[in-house]
Amino acid sequence: MQLSPKAVARFLGTRLLHSAIVLLGVMIVVFALIQLVPGDPVRLALGTRYTQESYDALRAASGLDRPLWEQFFTYIGSAVTGDLGVSFRSGQPVTALLLERLPATLSLAGVGLLIGLLIAVPAGIWAALREGRIADGIVRITSQFGVSIPDFWMGMLLILVFATGLGWLPSSGYIPFSESPGGWLRQVTLPAVTVGTVAGAILTRYVRAATLDVANMGYVRTAKSKGLAPSTVTIRHIMRNALVPVLTIAGIQLATILSGVIVVEVVFAWPGLGRLVFDSVASRDYPMIQGAVLLIAVMFLLVNLIVDVLYALVDPRIRLA
Amino acid sequence: MKKNPMVAVTSLALLTLAACGTGEAVDLNGDADDVEGAVLQAAIGGEPDQLDPHRTSAYFSFQVLENVFDTLVEPDENLEMQPALAESWDVSEDQLTWTFQLREDVTFHDGSEFTSADVVYSYERIIDEELANAWRFDAVESVEAPDDHTVEITVSAPTPNLLSNIGGFKGMAIVSEDNVESDEISNNPIGTGPFSLASYTSGDQITLEANPDYWGGAPEIAGVEFSFISEPSTALAALSGGEIHWTDNIPPQQVEELDGSDSVDLEVIPSNDYWYLAMNINEEPWDDERVRQAIAYAIDREAIIQAVSYGTAQENQLAIPEESVWYTEYSNYTHDLSEAERLLEEADVDGGSIEFLATNEYPETVTAAQIIADNLEPLGFEVSISQPDFSTWLDDQNSGSFDMLMMGWLGNIDPDDFYYSQHHSDGGSNAQGYSNQDVDELLESGRTETDEDARAEIYAEAAQIIADEASYIYLYNPAVIQGWSPELSDYQARSDAAIRFRGAVLEE
Repeated sequence: MQLSPKAVARFLGTRLLHSAIVLLGVMIVVFALIQLVPGDPVRLALGTRYTQESYDALRAASGLDRPLWEQFFTYIGSAVTGDLGVSFRSGQPVTALLLERLPATLSLAGVGLLIGLLIAVPAGIWAALREGRIADGIVRITSQFGVSIPDFWMGMLLILVFATGLGWLPSSGYIPFSESPGGWLRQVTLPAVTVGTVAGAILTRYVRAATLDVANMGYVRTAKSKGLAPSTVTIRHIMRNALVPVLTIAGIQLATILSGVIVVEVVFAWPGLGRLVFDSVASRDYPMIQGAVLLIAVMFLLVNLIVDVLYALVDPRIRLA
Repeated sequence: MKKNPMVAVTSLALLTLAACGTGEAVDLNGDADDVEGAVLQAAIGGEPDQLDPHRTSAYFSFQVLENVFDTLVEPDENLEMQPALAESWDVSEDQLTWTFQLREDVTFHDGSEFTSADVVYSYERIIDEELANAWRFDAVESVEAPDDHTVEITVSAPTPNLLSNIGGFKGMAIVSEDNVESDEISNNPIGTGPFSLASYTSGDQITLEANPDYWGGAPEIAGVEFSFISEPSTALAALSGGEIHWTDNIPPQQVEELDGSDSVDLEVIPSNDYWYLAMNINEEPWDDERVRQAIAYAIDREAIIQAVSYGTAQENQLAIPEESVWYTEYSNYTHDLSEAERLLEEADVDGGSIEFLATNEYPETVTAAQIIADNLEPLGFEVSISQPDFSTWLDDQNSGSFDMLMMGWLGNIDPDDFYYSQHHSDGGSNAQGYSNQDVDELLESGRTETDEDARAEIYAEAAQIIADEASYIYLYNPAVIQGWSPELSDYQARSDAAIRFRGAVLEE
């Protein structure tokens, strides 16, 4: 088929090259932006009560007394080897800190998106097939609510009902999957439902729209007039073709959740990337901010790459090029 | 409302600070690692930035480190200095040499013996590396160890507050040289305190394990697991739901409702932190003390306290709270608009615009600014409130780009902490630009006066001038608000907001 090894290799090669250029761009932009943001990490770390000598000592120790270009090239140089520097705030290597946060972030993003898709795919298709009828209206209004409800409020509501009220699930915290799969599931459920509801609401609208587009295509009419069973038409002719735009949006949603859903993480005390980035920005922890943005960029690129490969699998008309 | 520890972030920053409804008490579902027995689940409002006591300035770090490290002396619940690693001390006749006798039965968590060399190393590290707390040793000329269990500190002038400088908070902790040299102290600190670090998962939790060899006696509980819950209503839900035993992240608006609750024991006590207003004395019209006084008369303190703390804070027109031995009664400023108008007229000021520097890092500054804007409107002042993040706030404060600002100081103990740096003409934190020869002299003599009564009088006099001339307009002492499960006993909230779990008992 289209996925000959040669085509795949060429495709991946080009994409990797493009990715490297994008990443370099990201690094330059982030480095420059950080310099433009007001606020002095040294002053923040010391507070307001310190001597000038303390200030100078910490500034030198953080490397901030060196010329900007020198700081930049040192940063790029080490980043290439996977060394993203040392966090001002914690004194720990940035790479290690980021990797520590990844499992929680991946858990929340994965389960959240899964919940979102479980809501969106059936609801979207169901609404599209009943366009203009009551069912469609219900789905559209409900998804409008889902998009509009602040995740903060949704999270607190879930805590009130399922943690404080019913006592079924814990209100906060995280347990690694490797430590206890059951504990992990209990912890991830409420935050993932919060994330998933919002993602699901957004996705529902796309699934519905995509299904409608496809359902009005000539070949669907042809399939129907051939006398195929409605379920066959829906599954083989409509759903498969509607998947392409849905994949794109799902990919974007996934990347968005991966890059940190700060509010949800704060509400559920979830140790994800979002809170790390938030804290790092607040303390002007330059190496940490640069590292986190780089990681987020890498995740975006990866998700996009996977989505592109999936396109080709889902839709025979699309070739890897 | 500073106790919403969101705030505490910088704590130290500004500060000297140191700055279950329940289910089973024992919850060993694997996340407490290898700690066996009753593990106290505690939720603090944010994650420590790092665990090196000499390098961090974050209150969240000190909440944990209070239980891991020791200082030579430490404040008791009345904030008076008591023996800790030093069991006794003498001051020479000329007040220039302090000799500390160290305990002999102390070991670090890694089993190594604690000796005077560790004290010398720790203090020299702060001094030589110019760490943030180096200023606490300004008067110190040398730190020496004549023998294994004696430390001699020589000062250049009598220093009555030496004890609070070296023991006021765990930022002056005695650390282990090996731990520092191996670069592990920032995430795996080794101290001599009642608990040792068992595990630290970034973003998630820190587990402490009881130190069976603690010189003050092994703790009752097997360990403490700190989780980081920044959203107060989540922390409260976790406490009422029995997931945690203790938190200091209680929404102040819930205090009234929680008081008398069966599932949560609540303690609300005044802290020795304080919040103040300051005006930029380097700019007109704030250089005229009458204008500053007018503001002090115009603001509605009661409304501010109600809005920022739901009435849990304690009004105070000076810095030091009523509970302190250094307290001075002062209440000259009443809410009196006509007095404010009179003063403004005398100063020939007819309103104007005010740039109020608040910060979203400390939401109380924004809330109070709104009330103050309202209070000042009848006087013809138009207040515009800016609320940058704290980093930018510090820049603006230091560069003097403000007319008025509100901020707090946390964790002060000695009156010198409360007044010198903020109001001495050469004070490092005198961003408002106050200068008064008499106050300078008083604050200098307070630094070296060794008679406690005479010293108290000096500071009382200085504080009154400072308030009279409105270098700061003092507002209130916020409350320390902590809640815990009825299963937790033998624990008490402290006015310096230090969290000490060493004596705590958890019912099983």
